[in-house]
Amino acid sequence: MRGNLRQLFVYFILVGALSLVSVFISPSFALDVPALTGRVVDLAQVLPAEVAASLTNDLEAHETKTGNQVVVLILPSLEGEPIESFSHLVSTTWKLGQKGTDNGVLLLIALRERKVRIEVGYGLEGTLTDLRSAHIIRQEIVPHFRAGDLPGGIAAGVQAILGMIEGTYKAEEVRHAPGQEPTSFEYLIVGIVVGTLAGLVLSHGLPRSRVLIGGLLAFFIAQAATVGLGLAAAGVTAFLLWLILQAGRGQGGGWGEGIMMGPGGGFGDSFGGGGFSGGGGGFGGGGASGDW
Amino acid sequence: MSRRITVFATIAIAALFIGLTGCGYNDLQGLDEDTKAAWSEVVNQYQRRADLIPNLVATVKGYAEHEKDTLEGVVQARAQATGIQVTPDTLKDPAAFEQFQKAQAGLTSSLGRLIAIAENYPNLKADQNFRDLQSQLEGTENRIAVARKRYIEKVAEYNKGVRYFPTNLTAKFLLHLEERPNFTVADEKAVAKPPEVKF
Repeated sequence: MRGNLRQLFVYFILVGALSLVSVFISPSFALDVPALTGRVVDLAQVLPAEVAASLTNDLEAHETKTGNQVVVLILPSLEGEPIESFSHLVSTTWKLGQKGTDNGVLLLIALRERKVRIEVGYGLEGTLTDLRSAHIIRQEIVPHFRAGDLPGGIAAGVQAILGMIEGTYKAEEVRHAPGQEPTSFEYLIVGIVVGTLAGLVLSHGLPRSRVLIGGLLAFFIAQAATVGLGLAAAGVTAFLLWLILQAGRGQGGGWGEGIMMGPGGGFGDSFGGGGFSGGGGGFGGGGASGDW
Repeated sequence: MSRRITVFATIAIAALFIGLTGCGYNDLQGLDEDTKAAWSEVVNQYQRRADLIPNLVATVKGYAEHEKDTLEGVVQARAQATGIQVTPDTLKDPAAFEQFQKAQAGLTSSLGRLIAIAENYPNLKADQNFRDLQSQLEGTENRIAVARKRYIEKVAEYNKGVRYFPTNLTAKFLLHLEERPNFTVADEKAVAKPPEVKF
């Protein structure tokens, strides 16, 4: 009877833990999304260094002022991918624009296919409409490209895009835009509860290892959110277990169990090391494509 | 004695919590809303496309009056597509869903034919108004593709929740949720089919 109960609990713990781990499978593309190394990602090496630097400066100044994130990506080839779907994939992977206002723009140029696309985030679709994007491509970018002046076309396109979206947002309101991320807290709570339960059930009769197992499990579950939360969950769980066991036994116990959770997890949230990264903006396929 | 009570109380609370997470009540409710939102986006974008058509037809007519069949085909397909009442129940009824996507696919292919005839009219092709409408149409078709893709992903997730154990029990007995129809590959093909070009 007792063993059955235990098995049942172990099962529920597993269900609880597994339901937290969701696996996202993204469609495989022949062409990988390149790394977001900066505001101008020139994989085809067509921009002279000083043009790239001045574009980066302009884009950075624009973001400081308005919060809009505009990035230029130049590819040697699309490897057979349609430019629309690849550009959407890149912009959603990079998450250009800020979370909540979705004010990102990607200017994608594919050399071999001679195709160019402006991908517009949700929040800028009202200002940089499909039609205006098409006009920028047709009137600012393509004439330069046809004349063989890639850097000139890109610079003109970027200026036109920046001019169009300037004034849509102010930097402050973008930063204070409402996000929606309640999940970390849920991870913490679930981590503590599952950890406590596991600690109680899994190790029968050994208070010390109960605390350890509970803390460990809580750590790993909350780890799914961030390292800090994992540690917090582990600590709280260990303390809770200690309290419970203390109350149950009515005997003194050391505090030593509570602090066994060192920062053991090597995997956690990656906070980019000072470089440029997307702010969490979303894209719904707005923008325009063209060729030259 | 007090030890037992504490332990049982903890286990009861924890089991309740895990029960709620494991049975997927909140997940299913969330997915239900997500699919509805994704569906609204699909309908919204199709509507946007339908709104562009009268202007497009008028512009083409100005240059290609005698392409009557093609023009009428578009007008008819649009009337058919917009004539379908889309309600939240469309999602529950596979037949209604099928009808909706068939009508939209019909409009897609007749629009494709309309754009293709522009190739035969250099003046039309060069017309600023036509080019603008074409850009808007392309943009809208792309949004439709994105919205459909999102809907497909959301419904797949939702349907998994409705079918997988143990969340299927919650879906069936507690929430009365049913599997939802998704866009089919056959339909995907119809949409991607290049328009026939007549010479």
